Amino acid sequence: MFHCLDFRRAKLADPTRLPGEARKHLAACRACQDFARKVDADDKRIAAALQVAVPEGLAERVLLRARSRRLRPAWRLMAVAATVVLSIGIGLKTWLPAAHQDYARFAIEHVLHEPEALSSHRLADPREFGTVLARFGGELQAPVGKVRYMKLCPVPGGTGWHIVLDTEHGTATLLLIPGRDRSAGSVEARLRGFAATARRAGAGWYAIVTESPQSRDAIDALMQRRVSWRI
Amino acid sequence: MLLSIGKHRTFEHTVRAFSADLFRFALWLCRDRFVAEELVQETFSRAWSAWESLRDPGNPKPWLMRILRNEHARLYERKRLDYCDEEIEDLAISDNRSLAGEFEIGQLIDSLPLSLREPFLLQTLGGFTCAEIAEQLEISEGAAMVRLTRARQALRGLVAGDDAPRRRRRGNDRG
Repeated sequence: MFHCLDFRRAKLADPTRLPGEARKHLAACRACQDFARKVDADDKRIAAALQVAVPEGLAERVLLRARSRRLRPAWRLMAVAATVVLSIGIGLKTWLPAAHQDYARFAIEHVLHEPEALSSHRLADPREFGTVLARFGGELQAPVGKVRYMKLCPVPGGTGWHIVLDTEHGTATLLLIPGRDRSAGSVEARLRGFAATARRAGAGWYAIVTESPQSRDAIDALMQRRVSWRI
Repeated sequence: MLLSIGKHRTFEHTVRAFSADLFRFALWLCRDRFVAEELVQETFSRAWSAWESLRDPGNPKPWLMRILRNEHARLYERKRLDYCDEEIEDLAISDNRSLAGEFEIGQLIDSLPLSLREPFLLQTLGGFTCAEIAEQLEISEGAAMVRLTRARQALRGLVAGDDAPRRRRRGNDRG
């Protein structure tokens, strides 16, 4: 026999799709009619609350990114003064071999693969940058630059943040790479006119990519001075 | 070439039709507007790459939401939840209560654990049936119904600050 308790469970599980037995019970039970009215009223308010504002131009940005990925060959680049790629890894699947010099080379290849990041402007809240660093184990002691672009990207080991900064030593893209490689120190790479440094920090490695070794070293020094890393 | 143009047009239509819903779903999952937009971007990026695997082009929403859920899971290391899916018959339903004022509703939804929030959002934002939700979450339909019931109970119970039947106490208060 279908009781009020059965009805309430069914109503709370799916208010708009009651099974036949529940509808039959509802027709005959005033207490459940009252309960149903309250659940419906609650659901209506919940539905309204869930309809939060969507960022303006979201669909256009999705289509723009899709088009730019389809049209731009991976090896074509926009000219930039300097690029540092920072990406915070959250997924923890191991991908690369333990050779940490690959991280510096990977960072350059990542910059080459996403040239649109260098020409895009997607200003991020500075607090977001601080939060992203904190999640990766870095505490920002002083600003390292103005964040111009910040985006999640697939990187070895999972997902990372790709950030473009305007620093006092030029524009930079910064990549943080998650990883369990606990080798100390730093490694460098040069490829197709770019210079990169990868350094063990926080929850993995960070890599800095620039167009010159001098700006790379200057920005690396900036990162070391202005960010405290938990290792 | 013609097929390619058709695919592009269909994809564009899909993005315009569903990006808002996906954003809202992502936002209530991850509670960060910036990450939510990234999740939507990645969802459509993957959808484009796997477009040929879409089984029901007339109804891409379940497929897109599944991709988004997977992206969300990939983003945040998902701990295996020790969640006991009791049979729905074992759930006691508390007495009638009303939901909080609207301004608190968002916080109440935020406070739901992911194990309840996710199926609840699939139902309220996605419009999926219990069976469809069960398929998405890879659980039984009964388990999906339990979680949905618990979610609504929790939302109603959080207002009062306790979850035990309070008939006795109300009786005393009146006295």
